Amino acid sequence: MAGATESTLVSEDTTETEAVAAGAVGLAAVLFALSLAAMFELVTITDPVAGVPMVALLGGLLVLLGLAVIGFGVGSRLGYVATNPRPTAGLVASAAFALIWFVVGGLVASQTLGLGTAGWVVASLVTGGVGFAVSALPREDIGSTLPAGALAAFAGLVFLTGVIGPSWVWDLGWEQQASFNAEFTIPVLTGFCSLLVGWAAAKAYGGFGARGRHIGAYVLVYLNALSIIAVLFLLVAFTVLKGLPGLFNGFAFGAGAGPEVTLVGVTFSLPLSWPFVMNGVALLNDVNGVLPAIAGTIWLVIGAVLFAVPLGVGAAVFITEYADRGRFTQVVEIATNGLWSTPSIVFGLFGLAFLVPRLGNQKSLLAGMLTLGFMLLPLVVITSRESMLAVPDEYRDASAALGVTKWQTIRSIVLPAALPGIITGIILGVGRIAGETAPILLTMSGSVAPPGSQTVDVLGGFQFQSAPPFVTNPELMQATSALPYQLYSLITAGVGQSSNIGAIDEFRWATALILLVVVLGFYAVGIATRYYFRSKLQHE
Amino acid sequence: MSETRQTADDAQATTDSEPGGASPGTGQPLEVTSGETRERTREEWVEHEFEGEAKLSVSDLDVYYGDDHALKGVSMEIPENSVTALIGPSGCGKSTFLRCLNRMNDRIKAARIDGSVQLEGEEIYQEGVNLVELRKRVGMVFQSPNPFPKSIADNISYGPRKHGDLDTGLLANLLGRSDDDAVDELVEHSLRQAALWDEVQDRLDDNALGLSGGQQQRLCIARALATDPEVLLMDEPASALDPIATSKIEDLVHDLAEEYTVVIVTHNMQQAARISDQTAVFLTGGELVEYGDTDQVFEDPQSQRVEDYISGKFG
Repeated sequence: MAGATESTLVSEDTTETEAVAAGAVGLAAVLFALSLAAMFELVTITDPVAGVPMVALLGGLLVLLGLAVIGFGVGSRLGYVATNPRPTAGLVASAAFALIWFVVGGLVASQTLGLGTAGWVVASLVTGGVGFAVSALPREDIGSTLPAGALAAFAGLVFLTGVIGPSWVWDLGWEQQASFNAEFTIPVLTGFCSLLVGWAAAKAYGGFGARGRHIGAYVLVYLNALSIIAVLFLLVAFTVLKGLPGLFNGFAFGAGAGPEVTLVGVTFSLPLSWPFVMNGVALLNDVNGVLPAIAGTIWLVIGAVLFAVPLGVGAAVFITEYADRGRFTQVVEIATNGLWSTPSIVFGLFGLAFLVPRLGNQKSLLAGMLTLGFMLLPLVVITSRESMLAVPDEYRDASAALGVTKWQTIRSIVLPAALPGIITGIILGVGRIAGETAPILLTMSGSVAPPGSQTVDVLGGFQFQSAPPFVTNPELMQATSALPYQLYSLITAGVGQSSNIGAIDEFRWATALILLVVVLGFYAVGIATRYYFRSKLQHE
Repeated sequence: MSETRQTADDAQATTDSEPGGASPGTGQPLEVTSGETRERTREEWVEHEFEGEAKLSVSDLDVYYGDDHALKGVSMEIPENSVTALIGPSGCGKSTFLRCLNRMNDRIKAARIDGSVQLEGEEIYQEGVNLVELRKRVGMVFQSPNPFPKSIADNISYGPRKHGDLDTGLLANLLGRSDDDAVDELVEHSLRQAALWDEVQDRLDDNALGLSGGQQQRLCIARALATDPEVLLMDEPASALDPIATSKIEDLVHDLAEEYTVVIVTHNMQQAARISDQTAVFLTGGELVEYGDTDQVFEDPQSQRVEDYISGKFG
């Protein structure tokens, strides 16, 4: 016991106990990854791994880990392992364990043992109280390992004994026939227990105390961050895998493979045929595509950005540089924040009720652009204002001291310095509006699956005439489609099944993938622009 | 402090023995920090005789920040082509005074300024003063180096380009009347004046933020010189720099005084003694207490408070 409460200044080489604890942390991380994989059905819980069913493997690992962690805590308490624990695990950890064990006790009593309300409440209170007492009263080494290890071991035993097996279903008994199945429950429980045990093992590795808490928190935060990245990656990978077959349906490459185009009077054949992004939907197409929707989405975003960015940056310049700080700027700030959190369907209704009647009284690309522009505006104002406020006043002072006027200072110093921040705002905003369905539905949607001939061609749509208004562009006034709207109608209404879209499921996933690619493409452009302007502001 | 000395001081400087008492001369209560002798300021202490013209003449300058009376009735004349040091403890108003000389205090909303400042006989606090022109003629260098996040050359040419003296825009280039050569010349000339040319001549297109602190400060001086000012105001330009960079700045200030009128605020009394021709001492409460030849102020100050301050008894 003598060395148990003192920490040495210089720790010796890795001890065996430390190695064991580190192994436990690693095993918990592997278990967490396995649970994630099982949740996304990359592995099935009934699949045998090395001759053992997955569920049994998970259960066995949990039992092993739980016992290891408990063993470490007990060993530390008895003085076999040199650690530096505090007198208690702390109130937050104790409260968390109390809640966890309260839930565990309640579920076991009501679902497995079938006790009535009074029974499970008592059981919950007892287990919760025990959980709290075990973590709060003893020294930290027992208090943070025993409740966590016991939970993992208990969950492992539940899996091993088949109480929750592959065919287990928990019917919630509601009218809507809601139920949990094993494919979802087992990975979630495993993931949760592995996080908890990983945390306890990490604390043990650090020898409890301040260092142990640091390492414990580090492992928790690290695993969470990893899981977020993993989820993001899986989401994209899922869409890509599902979408690829439909996307490359009928794809051909080689001289003369593609359709004929005429550029500057020269007609030639494209060396590439990619029906999904080159065709619309038509009866005679071999492979149908989403070209009109792609063009619609791209023009929508361009139009919205062209409308919102000058207005938004101008407004931000005014309220940041010119207007006196006071009630007016406060009201503007509250209003812009409120507008940014306004639901998109409200913007759509505004577009339908206000813009559409004034712009030719029909749904049109222009109405959609303006509606999405209004949605983008508040974010541009907010982020431009923030990044202009972040420009140091020293620059403004230095410029003023050189006898440079305010507007020239804003143009030559403040705006260039704020530009990366402004672009970040635009990127975020574009990400939101490019995937927006509701406003498009109300302000610009035409037919769900338009043929290729209905692709909007804004640049080619300008017509010049001798009488006012001299320039018109019917393309802008045309109803058209956009990717999110097309995807929405293909999925909900089953639209398109009547037309000759063959494999409707492939078509949907490919549409989703194209939408993802278009949005990511806008991101890439934005990030490259930001990188360019930022590199001009920094040395190296 | 011995009893005899105290008596002698009393006779010399009419020390006010009552704490917090009003000085009969100006009718204003004296504000002093602890350890400071109480005395009234005298008009003759701030009279400074010099040959030649006064570049800047300040009379009865009062500055208020809201209710705070930051500068009280300051009058002084600053001679041409010389270095004038402003010294004093923190919060005594010397930076405020400096910022009044090119109306940088206009940028502070709470500031109110009464009194008169004349640049070569022209009042700068009156209707119709062109601030752009004023600040072109009275340049300023700040306490911390603040180069723009642009290339070194762009930093130098920024002022003249914005004033329209030099045009390197796209249109000028297309019309064939771009001032690129003039810009190069100006950049080299200004950097040479600021003793920075040798160090940066190979990387004029690099971002100025990549320079060291001392180089950045000299770049800021070069930038201020590029607009060809008559007066250069410096607000503790060396306070953030190491001794080597500081001595470079000091040499620079010394050389600049041949062509420019330099007014420099400093916390460092040795620095003031080394580089300035005349020194103005501001003390707590925003009063100019003594102004005169640097040698006289440092060796034989007329005010007891100034002597105490210079010898390090307070402040």
